[in-house]
Amino acid sequence: MANHRVGETGLSDSGPSNHHHHIPYAVLHGMNAPTSFIHQEGSAFDFGELEEAIVLQGVKIRNDEAKGPLFTTGRPAATLEMFPSWPIRFQQTPRGSSKSGGESTDSGSAVNTLSSKTENQLEPESPISKKASSSDHQAFDQKPLQHQQHLQQHQQQQQQRLEMASDTSRTGISQNQSAKPTQEKRRGSTSEKQLDAKTLRRLAQNREAARKSRLRKKAYVQQLETSRIKLTQLEQDLQRARSQGVFLGGCSATVGNISSGAAIFDMEYSRWLEDDQRHMSELRTGLHAHLSDSDLRVIVEGYISHYDEIFRLKGVAAKTDVFHLITGMWTTQAERCFLWMGGFRPSELIKMLISQLDPLTEQQVMGIYSLQHSSQQAEEALTQGLEQLQQSLIDTVAGGPGIDAMQQMAVALGKLANLEGFVRQADNLRQQTLHQLPRILTVRQAARCFLVIGEYYGRLRALSSLWASRPRESLMSDDHSCQTTTDLHMVQPSQNHFSNF
Amino acid sequence: MHCQTGSWGSYVPTSTRSVGDPLERIERLASENAVVIFSISTCCMCHAIKRLFCGMGVNPTVYELDEDPRGKDMERALMRLLRSSSAVPVVFIGGKLVGAMDRVMASHINGTLVPLLKEAGALWL
Repeated sequence: MANHRVGETGLSDSGPSNHHHHIPYAVLHGMNAPTSFIHQEGSAFDFGELEEAIVLQGVKIRNDEAKGPLFTTGRPAATLEMFPSWPIRFQQTPRGSSKSGGESTDSGSAVNTLSSKTENQLEPESPISKKASSSDHQAFDQKPLQHQQHLQQHQQQQQQRLEMASDTSRTGISQNQSAKPTQEKRRGSTSEKQLDAKTLRRLAQNREAARKSRLRKKAYVQQLETSRIKLTQLEQDLQRARSQGVFLGGCSATVGNISSGAAIFDMEYSRWLEDDQRHMSELRTGLHAHLSDSDLRVIVEGYISHYDEIFRLKGVAAKTDVFHLITGMWTTQAERCFLWMGGFRPSELIKMLISQLDPLTEQQVMGIYSLQHSSQQAEEALTQGLEQLQQSLIDTVAGGPGIDAMQQMAVALGKLANLEGFVRQADNLRQQTLHQLPRILTVRQAARCFLVIGEYYGRLRALSSLWASRPRESLMSDDHSCQTTTDLHMVQPSQNHFSNF
Repeated sequence: MHCQTGSWGSYVPTSTRSVGDPLERIERLASENAVVIFSISTCCMCHAIKRLFCGMGVNPTVYELDEDPRGKDMERALMRLLRSSSAVPVVFIGGKLVGAMDRVMASHINGTLVPLLKEAGALWL
């Protein structure tokens, strides 16, 4: 019932601004129905009906009283229209105020009093309390209850409402002059029947709008809820994956002890993965929509730039924490299994692609195989270079007789610094390989090719997630039933990992 | 062709001139063979680049700057030439500068390295 106040703005153009801090969802979407506010909490009390009652009542009153001049004062009409939900009470108030004002026929003053009172009111009770503040309104306390009861009966039949409205209005009618303009719905039409039709239509529309906004709000809240659940699930997956990594790998980066450079990169990488999803759906829709080659080329180039970005980020991360990259702690477990020098092995990717690509022309086949061959050679060269570095490092750390410990460490540190160079060159190789693909393939083939790549890694990530969430995880949890099963049970995967399937 | 992991066959003894522009020397040495690599014996990336050419069947001419009395000067000259903090490895093919490891790998991936080698006479197929 506390939303009655918000209904103030519905019918009039001059809505007070105090309702803005209470803007319900419906308002933000331009709902122009007073009942929308009122119905916000799904109140059982149908204010749409109530509003009709007031309108009809007012129409009756006005026509009965035939107070023409009051038509023209826009202010009183607007003010009183603001409180359709408190029809009876407010009718009491103006009566009370006008009574205290000596039954003045000046509806303006009465209404002004009313408006000033009601603008400050937040509770349905306040009109009554406001009334109490003015002189001798005790007598009228009875009336609101009576009218309330009458009003509840109004919901049944419109005819009865009309009659009873006229009855109740007549009981206090001598003082109720400001009630007349209430029912002036700022319409110029003169016939009562026309007014009814328009009013009824408008009221029906309001009701409909209110209902729609209710449904919209429900849908929105539901969306928020599912997103929240998804978020917690993701966080759990992440935590599980990290703890799995620590348990299995015994790597330097333990949970909670991750370097800031690594943490930053991980964050950027997860954002990159989200972007990846977006690019992939772009590719997918682009292919299905049969876009022109030039349009598709834009999308393909966009995807390549997307990969350029992750290589750039990895370059920055390699400066601060090369071990994080080279041990693959930034990837999922399945990806880590196939890790080569801090990332994917280009020749393996090409090999995977060869089976997936469209029928290729002879020239394209040669181009692809040549690419695979040259990347293999480059990989081999880098691997041998890294092996030499490792050997050199072993020699340094092993030391020998008479070696100065401090110097030994300094030399070892110097050699470790070369790791960054190798990860950089490996990423460079990966980047060049991806850039070469669209030079060999047609635009459509390239788009399909990148889609295949993106989906492939998406599945690898999903595989990691599945693996992490199989029953074996009891080793990490409080559950003491130690299962050593090697079966991969079909556990419930988290929603997002299957988005690529 | 079997590639040696030890000292590289074509180590050219330096001339006895003590005065001379290091860059000039570099350019002169680079033009004397089809494939010339300036390296440092302990550098692992240099080892990688040697392995790359070796794996392609190329027999490059390698100058180990740490084993050359004027190596330091040449290193500095190369750093200026490449505008990089690391002078080595750097590759010349047919007397022309190709670049450091990243440039060499990029040209291999995009298919321009092999024609360049063939043109310089370092590869026969």
